[in-house]
Amino acid sequence: MDVDVRSLDASSVVDSLKSIYSLVLLLVLWEVVTRMGLIYPYFLPQLSVVIDEFVLLVSSGQMIHAAYLTLMRAFVGLAGAAVAGVVIGILCARNALFEWFFDPIIKIGYPVPVISLVPVFMLWFGIGDVSKIIMVVVGTFWPVAVNARDATRQVDRNLIRSARMMGTGDRRLLWRVILPAASPGIFTGLQIATPIALIITFVFEMVAGGGGLGALEIAGVRGFNSAQTYAVIFAIIAIGLVLDRLLRAARTRLLDWT
Amino acid sequence: MATHDLWTPDRLPDPFAGVAKFLFDWIPLLVLVVGWEVASGRAVSESVLPPPTAVAAATVDLFATGEVIPHLAVSLLRVGVGLGLSIAVGVLLGIGMSQSDAVEDFFDVFLSLIYPLPKTALVPLALLWLGIGTKTAVLIVFLACLLPIVMNANNAAENVDQNLIRSARMMGTSDRRLFWKVVIPATIPEILTGIRQAIPFAFISLISAELIASEQGMGRLIRDAGSIGRYPAMFATIVIISAVAYTAVYGFEQIRERVLVWT
Repeated sequence: MDVDVRSLDASSVVDSLKSIYSLVLLLVLWEVVTRMGLIYPYFLPQLSVVIDEFVLLVSSGQMIHAAYLTLMRAFVGLAGAAVAGVVIGILCARNALFEWFFDPIIKIGYPVPVISLVPVFMLWFGIGDVSKIIMVVVGTFWPVAVNARDATRQVDRNLIRSARMMGTGDRRLLWRVILPAASPGIFTGLQIATPIALIITFVFEMVAGGGGLGALEIAGVRGFNSAQTYAVIFAIIAIGLVLDRLLRAARTRLLDWT
Repeated sequence: MATHDLWTPDRLPDPFAGVAKFLFDWIPLLVLVVGWEVASGRAVSESVLPPPTAVAAATVDLFATGEVIPHLAVSLLRVGVGLGLSIAVGVLLGIGMSQSDAVEDFFDVFLSLIYPLPKTALVPLALLWLGIGTKTAVLIVFLACLLPIVMNANNAAENVDQNLIRSARMMGTSDRRLFWKVVIPATIPEILTGIRQAIPFAFISLISAELIASEQGMGRLIRDAGSIGRYPAMFATIVIISAVAYTAVYGFEQIRERVLVWT
């Protein structure tokens, strides 16, 4: 990135201070109040203690391993749902038989609070990685499929007609016309699905254990080590911010022709 | 819209055509349910996948014995209070941030920090502060619903058509009247969109909180029924809460269409 000299002038420094002063204030207040012993440390440990705990968890490798487990489960599941959702979504939009079969299923299935199926998946597939991954697939399939379907339906018919007129075959039409034209909508579906994948993974880990950030976080509550809970939340916020940025960057990069 | 109907019974008289179309459209679900009924006890063990008839019987049972009523009531209370709070605070915050730089500077950083955080990750923290029960669930529902509402309200309030504001000003509308008669009505459609986006998250976070940190509620009932092997009751509870979520989503969409007569 090239440094913009104008961004270093006084007014923009003031602007960025203005936008984070409340956070700094809160963090300082957190440390002061807890140091003065005004809050029972189990509810809110000192900020410095939380930071120490964070550093300890990261340097001992515990946090890294937990983050790896959580992200692996969430993204393997999301990848499965992306494939299934895009295929079925496009088929629903392009083929009357698929539309007839899947539309009512999507209509009924989409609003189901998937998270209520966690005990069902524990019964069906146990509490291991496979169970969590399948749960993520089932939970994130709906937004991906719905967005892929709607985006494909809205592909400009003139584009399809023009391509046909020039003798484009079915396969080329799919890869060269429909998929590119529907890709912004498909990407939106994936952006909606990503937090859902994480939600499902966290909750499953909290309920069933088996490692991961959710399990590490709830272990802090149960083991009266609340600093650990706070440290894990810091890590989750950081992961969330990075993922959000990555998705936005990927969107501008991949879809810059739109 | 390239929606091609597989079958349009246009030769039948009107009311029958509607019914026939409806039945035809829902055959796929019937196929699934019948397939499930047949598979249960044959392809997979009945305890792992109880047949729909057993689940239906268990659903009736849960209501007949009254077992589900207190759980359903407490869940509805939690989701209602949480969502209600998030609407009140979210609209206020969203519009406040558009009207005042000081408010925006103060809250913006917190909102952008909790925006990418999956709100259910805060269940342990809520558990730490508020213990097991209703307060924890309400807090999580509130947090999960807050952002879509704030963002939509804020977005709408910042993008109110300037011509509307100028016209109103030109006719001598005071600040207060401008706010209530122009800004608020102009933002209502997007606020309703925000609420619509929040409803599924309200149910997800409700069930998550109840699975992890509650002794009552539908989430807890699902977990309990599962852990002591009452599988038909477990599936029945899921069906009931899904029906509630379904009603909330589509019911709200109906209401929104009725309310937004001016758009």
